[in-house]
Amino acid sequence: MSLKNCHNFEDFRKLAKKKLPSPIFHYIDGGSDDESTLRRNTDSFNECDLVPNILASVGKPDLSTTLFGRKIDMPIFLSPAAMQRLYHPDGDRASARAAEKFNTFYSMSSMGNNTIEEVSNISSGPKLFQLYVHKDRSISDDLIERSRRSGFDAMCLTVDTLVAGNREKDHRTGFTTPPKLTLQSLMSFAMRPGWVFNYLTGKRFELSNVKKKTDKGTNIAKSVIEYINEQYDPAMGWKDAEYCAKKWNGPFALKGVMSVEDAKKAIDIGCTAIMISNHGGRQLDGSRSPFDQVKAISDAVGDKLEIILDGGVRRGTHVLKAIAAGAKACSFGKMFLFSLAAGGQKGVEHLLQNMHDEIKRNMVLMGCKNLKELNNSKLIYRK
Amino acid sequence: MNLKNCHNFSDFRKLAKKKLPSPIFHYIDGAADDEITYARNTSAFDDVDLVPNVLRGVENVDLSTTIFGKKLDLPFYLAPTALQRLFHYEGERAVGKAAQKFNTMFGVSALATVSVEEISSMIDTPKMFQFYFHKDRGLNDSCLERAKAANFDVMALTVDTITGGNRERDLRTGFTSPPKLTLASLYSFATKPMWGINYLTKGKFELPHLQDFVKEGTDVNSSIGNYFSTMLDQSMNWKDAENLCSKWGGHFALKGIMSVEDAKRAVDIGCTGIMVSNHGGRQLDGSRAPFDQLAEIVDAVGDKLDVICEGGIHRGTHMLKALSIGAKACSGGRLYLYALAAGGQAGVERAIEKYKAELVRDMKLMGCTKISDLNRDNLRFRR
Repeated sequence: MSLKNCHNFEDFRKLAKKKLPSPIFHYIDGGSDDESTLRRNTDSFNECDLVPNILASVGKPDLSTTLFGRKIDMPIFLSPAAMQRLYHPDGDRASARAAEKFNTFYSMSSMGNNTIEEVSNISSGPKLFQLYVHKDRSISDDLIERSRRSGFDAMCLTVDTLVAGNREKDHRTGFTTPPKLTLQSLMSFAMRPGWVFNYLTGKRFELSNVKKKTDKGTNIAKSVIEYINEQYDPAMGWKDAEYCAKKWNGPFALKGVMSVEDAKKAIDIGCTAIMISNHGGRQLDGSRSPFDQVKAISDAVGDKLEIILDGGVRRGTHVLKAIAAGAKACSFGKMFLFSLAAGGQKGVEHLLQNMHDEIKRNMVLMGCKNLKELNNSKLIYRK
Repeated sequence: MNLKNCHNFSDFRKLAKKKLPSPIFHYIDGAADDEITYARNTSAFDDVDLVPNVLRGVENVDLSTTIFGKKLDLPFYLAPTALQRLFHYEGERAVGKAAQKFNTMFGVSALATVSVEEISSMIDTPKMFQFYFHKDRGLNDSCLERAKAANFDVMALTVDTITGGNRERDLRTGFTSPPKLTLASLYSFATKPMWGINYLTKGKFELPHLQDFVKEGTDVNSSIGNYFSTMLDQSMNWKDAENLCSKWGGHFALKGIMSVEDAKRAVDIGCTGIMVSNHGGRQLDGSRAPFDQLAEIVDAVGDKLDVICEGGIHRGTHMLKALSIGAKACSGGRLYLYALAAGGQAGVERAIEKYKAELVRDMKLMGCTKISDLNRDNLRFRR
């Protein structure tokens, strides 16, 4: 199996599984507890149907939209994801370059393995920085300042990770960062010598953007769960979010908003966008899926905020449904991480090309010339 | 397993799978993307239940119905499907003769492998010609004139293939027309020698309605998706459909209508029928199932033109449900294609006989003696 046989999510997932040591594959692949929210994130798209219009002489549909004040060529982008060098030696460099090529957003995680400055130098495409509020506030302040200096377009604050979710696959595989060899995982690493070679011969693994401020996650083997619980401030409140929004003073989103009430509060503290997300089903299992919730939130605040649906998206038609239900754009993490593991920058580009082609094809089949025409009337929910 | 063990849709499917080289089987069996819509087309029938009436004296059941001004002995007909000689060497000849035997309508595809002239000289039951709107207007005119000269009763313009669907099984198996041997498919062709012998010895494979105009699909290996995307005119609009309708000057239908709005426009441009269809789930995955959408469309236009429910039908009771909602008739492709592959004319006849027996039995169990006895009082929707 190779990249050119990858036609969909499942194909990329399979290829990633072949290439990655199992603790690392399962770190991407897993959700929390019983993973029922993880599954629902995608299943929820299947309970409503698109209704196409025929003979609409669409020609070439326009897939572009504006997000965070920038025009992007299609309504999808790469969600922030931590530690991308674990998945491919090029890490964030690969995903940033791929996103730039398709003129859409690349997002950098606070827990990236490349520095803000480095990525800014290699990509002039749209860029979003993802922020966590650390117990040590100077860490967050520093990240905001550096993102500004480096020309990032927008900032999002993750609000669904006050404590780490119960990712049971990580308990079983013993996933830590940097990866720790256990007897159990030894076999899996040994079977993927290519990964190990790249990992050991590449740049030293580190959480580049926070390394001056903390040695956690860099020198000692820590599970992500321990890291989150140690470093992030569970007492973070609306005041802290407002502080970050004001300090950034540009396009700003809360990532992980699920209730209509919180979406309204986001407007009050000065957000320009929200990302409806349950962190890819990796935090609170049993919580609602973004697609199940997007219409209610869009009806309430869609005219005041840009709404991004994050989670469960695997197909062009999922994007079409999200937009018809009121989202401005969709983002995804797992899917692009699998493509990154499968083939680095080429892998991510292959995925973005597939998604672009699917969205375009399906717009034509829907009889829609642009994303504005994809409204509520094109969607019927099964009772 | 042989024909006499085939009692239902899935039996015919199994036998077809045994007889056909896998790229060809999967061309019939597959659908777009994740095949969610394909599955829903059938499962939609399970969300509604039939409510029988007893003690009605049901000794004689009349299954006849009238569509497009023609009386059929059965409330279903054989939908137009492409490339039938790939599935059995008798191709359209087998299907046409079977339709004749049961006095129902035979739909002939623009991509048929037997000419309209030959079919017309062979059978005198009602015939529908299925039309694709090509970029080449000379080809369009030729199709229209030949179908008219061959005394076809109905012209159906397909409107849901404005671009090719994403049929991932074909991507994997490398399905093309005519079939191309690849290393991957060689084994599958080699293990089905009878198919190969018949294909090579029973006359040259051709597309008689196209061959004077194009090389695609006749000399050159071409995928069907590629044919849709490159040969058909994507700028086709309502004006074009209206012109075709008046040029034909007889019974005219649009095949692939899903929205109420479009159904009303079909009335306006002079159509006498529509097929509520999503092309068997082979085009836009995530789109609505014909049966889910049927009631709305029948309510809007059922008194002005013949509404036909096409797609997902595997059982006599599925037809009873669609007819109870107000469809004038049902149709399907896979409904008889597996049977064609399984046993040629005898296979198609056996399939029709089985569906007919189911209809007669189920009409009696419902307490109905004629199709017009069926109405929505017979149905309860679960939700």
